[in-house]
Amino acid sequence: MATRRALKAVLVDLNGTLHVEDAAVPGAQEALTRLRGASVMIKFVTNTTKESKQDLLKRLQNLEFDISEDEIFTSLTAARNLVEEKQVRPMLLVDDRALPDFKGIQTSDPNAVVIGLAPEHFNYPVLNQAFRLLLDGAPLIAIHKARYYKRKDGLAMGPGPFVAGLEYATDTKATVVGKPEKTFFLEALRGTGCEPQEAVMIGDDCRDDVGGAQNVGMLGILVKTGKYRAADETKINPPPYLTCESFPHAVDHILQHLL
Amino acid sequence: MAAWSERLAGIRGVLLDISGVLCDGDAGGGRPIPGSVEAVARLKQSRLKVRFCTNESQKSLRELVDTLQRLGFDISEGEVTAPAPATCRILRARGLRPHLLIPEGVRSEFHGIDTSNPNCVVLADAGEAFSFQNMNKAFRVLMGLDTPVLIALGKGRYYKEVSGLMLDVGAYVKALEYACGIEAEVVGKPSAQFFQSALQEMGVDAHQAIMIGDDIEGDIGGAQRCGMRALQVRTGKFRPSDEHHPQVKADGYVDNLAQAVDLLLKHTES
Repeated sequence: MATRRALKAVLVDLNGTLHVEDAAVPGAQEALTRLRGASVMIKFVTNTTKESKQDLLKRLQNLEFDISEDEIFTSLTAARNLVEEKQVRPMLLVDDRALPDFKGIQTSDPNAVVIGLAPEHFNYPVLNQAFRLLLDGAPLIAIHKARYYKRKDGLAMGPGPFVAGLEYATDTKATVVGKPEKTFFLEALRGTGCEPQEAVMIGDDCRDDVGGAQNVGMLGILVKTGKYRAADETKINPPPYLTCESFPHAVDHILQHLL
Repeated sequence: MAAWSERLAGIRGVLLDISGVLCDGDAGGGRPIPGSVEAVARLKQSRLKVRFCTNESQKSLRELVDTLQRLGFDISEGEVTAPAPATCRILRARGLRPHLLIPEGVRSEFHGIDTSNPNCVVLADAGEAFSFQNMNKAFRVLMGLDTPVLIALGKGRYYKEVSGLMLDVGAYVKALEYACGIEAEVVGKPSAQFFQSALQEMGVDAHQAIMIGDDIEGDIGGAQRCGMRALQVRTGKFRPSDEHHPQVKADGYVDNLAQAVDLLLKHTES
């Protein structure tokens, strides 16, 4: 392996890595405290279309994690950053609970479309409005493009199909901002003065967390918690830099070998 | 480009798209495009054969023809090739029992079709009925089948109403295709089978027929792939960029149906 620069940043996935639903991964709080003892920057990065940073922070604090809001970077943050960078006024097709993350963004007289998981907005008049904006040249920004997800009452369509439908009708391509897109990881590091080669990503999703991070030059550590299934580590090439039991083991490795 | 007389040589039959060529539709029934009522009448008085070829799937054929007659058009049900009757023939022939995601107006076309315990999904231009709930129902039917069959009445991107451009069934077909990782069977333009059945019903070979439509891909591209010629009108959903489409080049662009008929009568009636 090429010589790496000293580690400056650690990116950590949330659900499945630090906690699984409403339970912390055993030892994760102490491990985070140990990691904070080292001189590295820590960012918590996650794909979400409906939980605002405040919601995420509340849950983590309830689980007694020592985390501050400005350390959290989500796919919603990435969408917001893109909106600000492009200086556009988005029509927001996102869950109401996600709206706090777009506070202060001008949305009147829209000239862009941001689309997340928002079944309540996926009706004909709203999608037609989005369609007309896109036809007039508005950019389409997708939080992610999942085909479907599992709900308590069965399978449900994700935002992906509706993004694909709008792309088809307008002959355009959406900019997807969530993991595993390269821009997601680069945006997470923006303004930190840290290069991808100086960062490591820890997560339970081999493709989205580890594969995505390694594609921009970070190291990727796969943990066997959350959605991890046996042999997941064989699903990407090159394989994960490291596969280990859980977040505390990943922290141990970083403290012993990467600093 | 070659002279009109050359481009239109040997034409014996004309296929006419309806929405955007004859009229611009809307919920209240629509309005005729100026000159189109007379143009259809002149065409039908000529020696050219005429047939209407539409992807309309919001209304039943009966209702569509009634509306057009009210607007002044000389048209009858027997002169129209439309996707709903064609779909019913396919369902019967293959023993398919559809879950129907279609607008109320077109439901009567499916009268007598067994819809119990569905083994396929039929999607028409359902408009307001394209709610998340209805889409999700169709999605679940497809995901529950060993071999998901999705039949789409057209795959148009958009069409024009008086209020502006409207999302067509194609966007929703694409959504279900993407969600389930499948490809729909399209009944309607631009499917070659659909054009061929219209040609057969008109009794004219493809090389002697011309399509007149406002959709550069669905009408023009589709007809040309069948060996027909095709003119695009600058009405309906036409956008100036269509004349520089990267793949499809019409055999001619005309301001409206009236101009197309002028040219056809001038250059084919000798």
